[in-house]
Amino acid sequence: MNQDLNQSQREQLSALADGQLAGEDIGAALEFAGSDEGRQTWQLYQLVGDVLRSPELAHHAQHDVLSGVRAELARAPQLQTAQLEAIAPARAPERAANSAVFRWKVAAGVASVAAVAAFGWSSLHTANDHGMQLVQADAPEQSVPGEMLAMQAGPGAPIMLRDPRLDELLAAHRQYSSVAALQMPANFLRNASFSDASVRR
Amino acid sequence: MKPSVTPPTPSDSDLQLVERTNAGDQRAFELLVIKYQRRIERLIARMVRDTDQVQDIAQETFIRAYRALHQFRGEAQFYTWLYRIAVNTAKKALLDMKRNPVVSESALRSQNEEDETSSHGQELTTDETPETVLAAQEIAEAVNAAMLALPEELRQAVTLREIEGLSYEEIAAAMECPIGTVRSRIFRAREAISARVKPLLENQTGKRW
Repeated sequence: MNQDLNQSQREQLSALADGQLAGEDIGAALEFAGSDEGRQTWQLYQLVGDVLRSPELAHHAQHDVLSGVRAELARAPQLQTAQLEAIAPARAPERAANSAVFRWKVAAGVASVAAVAAFGWSSLHTANDHGMQLVQADAPEQSVPGEMLAMQAGPGAPIMLRDPRLDELLAAHRQYSSVAALQMPANFLRNASFSDASVRR
Repeated sequence: MKPSVTPPTPSDSDLQLVERTNAGDQRAFELLVIKYQRRIERLIARMVRDTDQVQDIAQETFIRAYRALHQFRGEAQFYTWLYRIAVNTAKKALLDMKRNPVVSESALRSQNEEDETSSHGQELTTDETPETVLAAQEIAEAVNAAMLALPEELRQAVTLREIEGLSYEEIAAAMECPIGTVRSRIFRAREAISARVKPLLENQTGKRW
């Protein structure tokens, strides 16, 4: 019975060599190939196939490469683990020298709360001020006009009343304007036509 | 009506083993190492004159292949891919040897032998000695003798598979028999030939097979 099982396993290995196994059968064949007998069987099948195709390959393996490969591959995960362990302490946050003293923690907590409160209070006031300004801006009837200035660009030019606050605002936002905001307005442009007697004729 | 199942092509064996390796089964990669070790050793031995280096370079080749295996997409044959790795590894080793020219005893020996007795017509690779050549001849003769002794249907099945590279389905069609019979015939043929080769390997390696 054991011999039948062995025969069946060898046949599976033969089929694996030809790529004719699938699913769980591959796993079973690999299980057998992991044993000494399975490995030697696989080696013999490959040798026979190679010799049939090319007599040049009619020699057994000269060196034990497999053991070296196994050892190297077994060492690689250990190396990785060792590297990770070496890196891990560097990544861990270092503890402060005074971390064991509890009053420092209390002081830090109080300071944080005070900072948050101060910032909150300041923000609240700022928001209120902005709110007032907005209200004022939205309600022009509440705005108190400042002292108006009467200006005249030259003799005979129209007199212009200027609001200093408006000038101030325009000066502050000069970069948004494509024309000089503070210049004197041009006189009202009227239609003008050139009359030439020769053209008329 | 049963759905038609496409049988794996001959090269699917390597691809299956690669996939199993990538899935974390290192045993599958070991089978690839055993399968290709002799070819890789032979290739390296033709490039590197130092026999002591052959094993190291072969080992390095397989380790590099293992680490790069996830990049293998199966567009080329696995051996073609492995061959390139072996050639590159051997070239790198040769460059390193030039930079650090510590010549081993075996390299010196082969160099001296070449100076005195080499004939380029029948040059042996560095790993080949008269003993290994004789051993190879014995193995080849044993395989041929075993083939001749096989029943016709077994010989035909294993020839179509190993030499012609046909799939089981193609062999079944050619021999007009079920695929299961093809599988059994190829297995029996391999067993019969292996039985002839095994004692030779035991004698040559000095260990039990």
